Amino acid sequence: MSETYDFLFKFLVIGNAGTGKSCLLHQFIEKRFKDDSNHTIGVEFGSKIISVVNKSVKLQIWDTAGQERFRSVTRSYYRGAAGALLVYDITSRETYNALTNWLTDARMLASQNIVIILCGNKKDLDADREVTFLEASRFAQENELMFLETSALTGENVEEAFVQCARKILNKIESGELDPERMGSGIQYGDAALRQLRSPRRAQAESVQECGC
Amino acid sequence: MEKRFDKQSTECLTNSDSKAYQRVDRYGFEKSEDFKHEFHEELKADYVAVLTRRSKKWSKLLQDTERVEKNMKVKRYVRKGIPCEYRSEIWMACSGAQDQLESNAGYYDSLLKIEHDSKLEEVIRADMHRTFPDNIQFRVSSQPCLQNALFNILLAYGHHNKDVGYCQGMNFIAGYLLIITKDEEKSFWLLDALLSRILTDYYTPNMLGLRVDQEVLGELVKMKVPAVWETMKRHDVMWTLVVSRWFICLYVDILPVETVLRIWDCLFFEGSKILFRVALTLIRHHQTLISQSQSLPEICERFKQIIRGEYVEDCHSFMQKIFMEPGGLSSATITKFRKMWRNNITADTKTPH
Repeated sequence: MSETYDFLFKFLVIGNAGTGKSCLLHQFIEKRFKDDSNHTIGVEFGSKIISVVNKSVKLQIWDTAGQERFRSVTRSYYRGAAGALLVYDITSRETYNALTNWLTDARMLASQNIVIILCGNKKDLDADREVTFLEASRFAQENELMFLETSALTGENVEEAFVQCARKILNKIESGELDPERMGSGIQYGDAALRQLRSPRRAQAESVQECGC
Repeated sequence: MEKRFDKQSTECLTNSDSKAYQRVDRYGFEKSEDFKHEFHEELKADYVAVLTRRSKKWSKLLQDTERVEKNMKVKRYVRKGIPCEYRSEIWMACSGAQDQLESNAGYYDSLLKIEHDSKLEEVIRADMHRTFPDNIQFRVSSQPCLQNALFNILLAYGHHNKDVGYCQGMNFIAGYLLIITKDEEKSFWLLDALLSRILTDYYTPNMLGLRVDQEVLGELVKMKVPAVWETMKRHDVMWTLVVSRWFICLYVDILPVETVLRIWDCLFFEGSKILFRVALTLIRHHQTLISQSQSLPEICERFKQIIRGEYVEDCHSFMQKIFMEPGGLSSATITKFRKMWRNNITADTKTPH
């Protein structure tokens, strides 16, 4: 099976236990709500190719266990992530209060340049809301995060969250703010096509050999 | 509070509805969609013969003894599998849980009566609907619903062992204990045997025991399956990525139920070394497959592949292999590596980043 894509981004899904991280990932990949599985232990892994501003991007997504003590284990996976979904549950202030810690971890362990989108999940449970949209959007602004309220149940804004995060990374690559070739950028080229755009001579030589992987 | 379950009604889940019976295994787990009936029928027939033979032997063994002793004969018997009907009793006896239960009569109940830490309660409750949703005994609609018993055990344990409190993964372990013992108090003491004696520091907040053992496995793989070790190194894959779940869940939800129970037979009798034997066998047997991986995701994928299929479904052969395939595995070696890695990790934690 051949897969072609222009870029590969490493993504993380982080946030407290029970905020719906795995459900967001499942909704994104399978387009369906899944609430009948065991909770995540350690790390799970998923991938999907999406199309963003005429580029196809393969997202390699690491879904982590949320319980505090698992951080000593899951932190090892942060290294070299290009993007992250930082998830809290709009019906639980506690999960919102924990955001600062998650953020510090992500920026310290993944990369200073990691692009993070804050996701207020369980948007469908508006009646039980404990965190207002306004409050969270202020937090996002202060911490230079993108922000969306999502629902893994209905699918609202789920795809958008991943796409927006990927789009921002692409923009940063194009503006030169992010260098995919830097070690630990969390970004890889999918094939030679893009390099060709950026440095025609070098890539032409490479594109002769077709990559079979 | 319903604590002890009617033994007969749940002895070995039988269901008069033949359709439902086919969907669900004897422990209440729904069979996955890709369940291969033919292979299992064949396997079951062979295994039933084994079980019948073992059952007779065990019955004879237990007839002559007041209490199971830990000797070579029993060890050999345990490695060949404890029949379902004796499992609870043998686990209790050889893990020391029975002694604990007897010398602490009423203690479990008293833990349930004390004022509960509401935070602990909340964290445990959040995992109840996420523990074996594929098992009919854990459905809210079932009678009795094991969710309540599971909740009690975890809550009591959190108060009993404050260093551990509640760590995700304990729910799966306690869940299996309940399925086998059908008794809250016994499950509680078995959980205690595992967490405070057999797997020290696995579930404490820094999870040091677990982190050490993951690296110890790495050392053992380096010694015994160098090709895989090279592959892991080449792609810069940390052991925690592929095996943390194996160790935290003691293979629950990783390997087939019957295989897990056979592993636990040895875990209670012989201790944590068995976890390495299982991991090493899986890795060694599939070393070519793993070594051919071209990328980190591919390695992850293959580590998922090797825990499925006939090799692990055939629990009786698999259990024979774990004592053959990895070769000798001395306690001294494991102790040495554990000490080394405990020092490494502790030193690393102290160093400011």
